Amino acid sequence: MSTYSALPDGDLVRACRAGDADAWNELVERFSRYVYAIAVRGFRLSEEDAEDVFQDVFTRIYLRLDTLRDDSAVRPWIAQLTRRRCLDALSSKGREMSADEDTLMAEESADLTDVEEAFAVREALGGLSDNCQDILDRFFAQDQSYRTIAAELEIPSGTIASRIARCLARLKEQLEGRNQGSERSRG
Amino acid sequence: MVARCSTDWEDAPGVSAQASAISDRAVALAQTDGRAWDAALVALRDAEAGAGPNASRDFALERKLEAAAAAPLEIASLGADVAALAAAAVDSCEATYRADASAAASLAAGGSAAAAHLVRVNLGIRPADPRLAHALASEQAAREVAERLGEPTR
Repeated sequence: MSTYSALPDGDLVRACRAGDADAWNELVERFSRYVYAIAVRGFRLSEEDAEDVFQDVFTRIYLRLDTLRDDSAVRPWIAQLTRRRCLDALSSKGREMSADEDTLMAEESADLTDVEEAFAVREALGGLSDNCQDILDRFFAQDQSYRTIAAELEIPSGTIASRIARCLARLKEQLEGRNQGSERSRG
Repeated sequence: MVARCSTDWEDAPGVSAQASAISDRAVALAQTDGRAWDAALVALRDAEAGAGPNASRDFALERKLEAAAAAPLEIASLGADVAALAAAAVDSCEATYRADASAAASLAAGGSAAAAHLVRVNLGIRPADPRLAHALASEQAAREVAERLGEPTR
């Protein structure tokens, strides 16, 4: 893990502006999956087109980072850049968006919301203890049964459901804190 | 439902989220089970229509039957999870809904037993198969919880 991985977005952006190469590496690492997910899941671009969007978005980030007014709002800024580039990619492919345009846009919007939520949850998970991250990952991502979790973590099977419930409560607190923070930074 | 209605129970939202996740898994597994069993049926009919032993055909049939046992195996395990979740609910939910949680455990035990039976049938008579042992353990775990929650002293 790099020394930059714990930096808040705003501090990371400031380090990038100062020309720190390691900070740039961390910025790409931090947002690469986000950009790719918007292109592939939100706009259903092919892998090839998504790769083009990816390259172009990060080139633009590099060239235009000085134009970002609120450093802590780098994520929505990157999302906006990515959406624009995805729409350009679709237009250049001449994708038909006539009769089903509204439906298509609504579906893409819903998918983008899913992507945003998934990344918000991923970030919030990072604020939980390792034990909580592990047990939530096992139950919700790996679909492990209570018995398997109990056996692998060597904890009583009857306590798994309550442990997961308590970890979910902490995750909710993290998400609420994050939302309040982003509202403050916007206001 | 029990968790959603128990507004004073601190863990209720987390238990409700787990119940939703298990429910989603059960629906997906039921669909997988249907497809796997359809494929196994076709293989069974091919085997019945064929004349004499045929190693390739018999191997294909065995693979299909094993695939048909995979989803019930997971369903049996989910039944044990539902029963465990119901037990957590009975211990902490609002008193009005304890009977509903207990009923959920009984239903889960029934589902787990039915699924374990399908595992046994689809795998044939091979008592030493660890998958069968796993299914039977899930069935037993669910049944024990349901019986405990159904005791009149609770």
